[in-house]
Amino acid sequence: MLKNFKITTKFNEVHDITESVKKAVEESGVKEGTCVVYNPHSTAGLTVFSPWDPDGFIDLDQEICRLIPTRVDFKHQHDTPQDAAGHVKCALLGISLTFIITEGKLLLGGSQGIYFLEFDGPRNREFFVKIQSD
Amino acid sequence: MSKYSNPMSRQVESLPELIRSQYEDLEPKARTVLSFQEIFNIQRIVLTGCGDSYAAAMATKHAFEMLTGIPTEVVTALELGRFYCKKHLGIDCRNPLVIAVSNSGTGARVAEAVERARKHGCFVLGVTGNPESLLGVNSDKILKLDIPSFESAPGTRSYMVSVLSLLLLAIRFGEVRLKYTMDQAMAYREDIKRQADALESLLPGMEDTCASVAEQWKDFPCYDFIGAGFDYATAWFGQAKILEATGKFAMHINTEEWFHLNFFARDAREMGTVVVANTTNPAHSRSRELVKYANVLHRPLVVITDGDKEDFGGEEAVYIKVPKTEYPITMPLTHFAPVCLIASYISELIGEKYGRGCEGDWSFAQGGAGVTNSEIIVD
Repeated sequence: MLKNFKITTKFNEVHDITESVKKAVEESGVKEGTCVVYNPHSTAGLTVFSPWDPDGFIDLDQEICRLIPTRVDFKHQHDTPQDAAGHVKCALLGISLTFIITEGKLLLGGSQGIYFLEFDGPRNREFFVKIQSD
Repeated sequence: MSKYSNPMSRQVESLPELIRSQYEDLEPKARTVLSFQEIFNIQRIVLTGCGDSYAAAMATKHAFEMLTGIPTEVVTALELGRFYCKKHLGIDCRNPLVIAVSNSGTGARVAEAVERARKHGCFVLGVTGNPESLLGVNSDKILKLDIPSFESAPGTRSYMVSVLSLLLLAIRFGEVRLKYTMDQAMAYREDIKRQADALESLLPGMEDTCASVAEQWKDFPCYDFIGAGFDYATAWFGQAKILEATGKFAMHINTEEWFHLNFFARDAREMGTVVVANTTNPAHSRSRELVKYANVLHRPLVVITDGDKEDFGGEEAVYIKVPKTEYPITMPLTHFAPVCLIASYISELIGEKYGRGCEGDWSFAQGGAGVTNSEIIVD
């Protein structure tokens, strides 16, 4: 089963998609299997992060920007500096995540949420959830 | 095609296709002509040019300021070359950015202006079809124009391309400086492209209306063109086309100044009056008042607008519809089409040669010699 989700992101947003993925798994009827979450963009990423302290999201965003700051001397100049930095962030953070499905539910730790990382924005984005039975 | 078809009106008819092809040519060029570093370095912008290029600068000045937030001046080439204060040139690491427009690149005044600007430390971006010209060789970077050749006539196609190139630069500067998203930048660009279809659909009716106006106005001794903001640029361009195409007197004035000056003119019933007044123009309320009082004076009146009679309180006038755009900044791209048609049809009706054919007393201007053969002084 492949399911597509449309989202509208804000500038450099950490967008929570946990419930959408959980619901897709439960609705699939698959009891044991794997779930792949896939982002088809080149200036956005996916990650697992703790949801409990909202300031943690600020840390995440700031640390990503500290590692790959938006600079004006990127060689890729076709779009914008923000876009050029976004491509690098996307390459380093990755665009897919794999999860285990067991007993009909997504196997996710208590301090784990699934997040779509916007490295540009605001943009109209999408992501896919692929569910496979064992 | 109009019954008074001539090279200038045929240039107007070619505009929709020219918008499409020139967008494809210029968008990638405008995207890459300046680096991120060069765009972020801009503190001030000076737009300069002569004649139609000067009008293109006026038509896009507000777009530069609204999209980029960078203070932008329009300075004539003569002012920049001979008068502009030296201490304001070359400040803050190669500022201001001087964008000089000339398709031929051969005008002496523009060459002089950019040479002086560079000498005193400005960064010069030349917008020209001739990189080997004096403008080209005195520019740090060149946005190369490639306008397909066409029947010779007072600048119509070249003006549109000048406006297009400046609009694309303004959109690009704002995009790179993160004033809006890349999606928003593309929305501005799409608004430009949509005008090709919009103008194409309006042209048949526009030609009929302009032909009718030309028949009624052909013997008038004088014409008055009025507008505000970027509509003033279209008005300025209109008076230029009347002079070039018909050789008759023409005036240009902004909407407020008309109430201080031009409305005093006698023989108002024989003064073809063209008001360029788009409904989104911040000065629209003043344009409405002007149309009312132009009628009180019995002025023969044309209103070029994206609206209609109701937007002007039901006042009598010949209303010529031009494309309604999503973003007002892109309007100057096509709103000059009616003024070119009126000028071209009057020229055809009275049998006048464009630019007096550079014959007789005008022979000194043959081949553009009047603007190319001029002493260049760089101070």
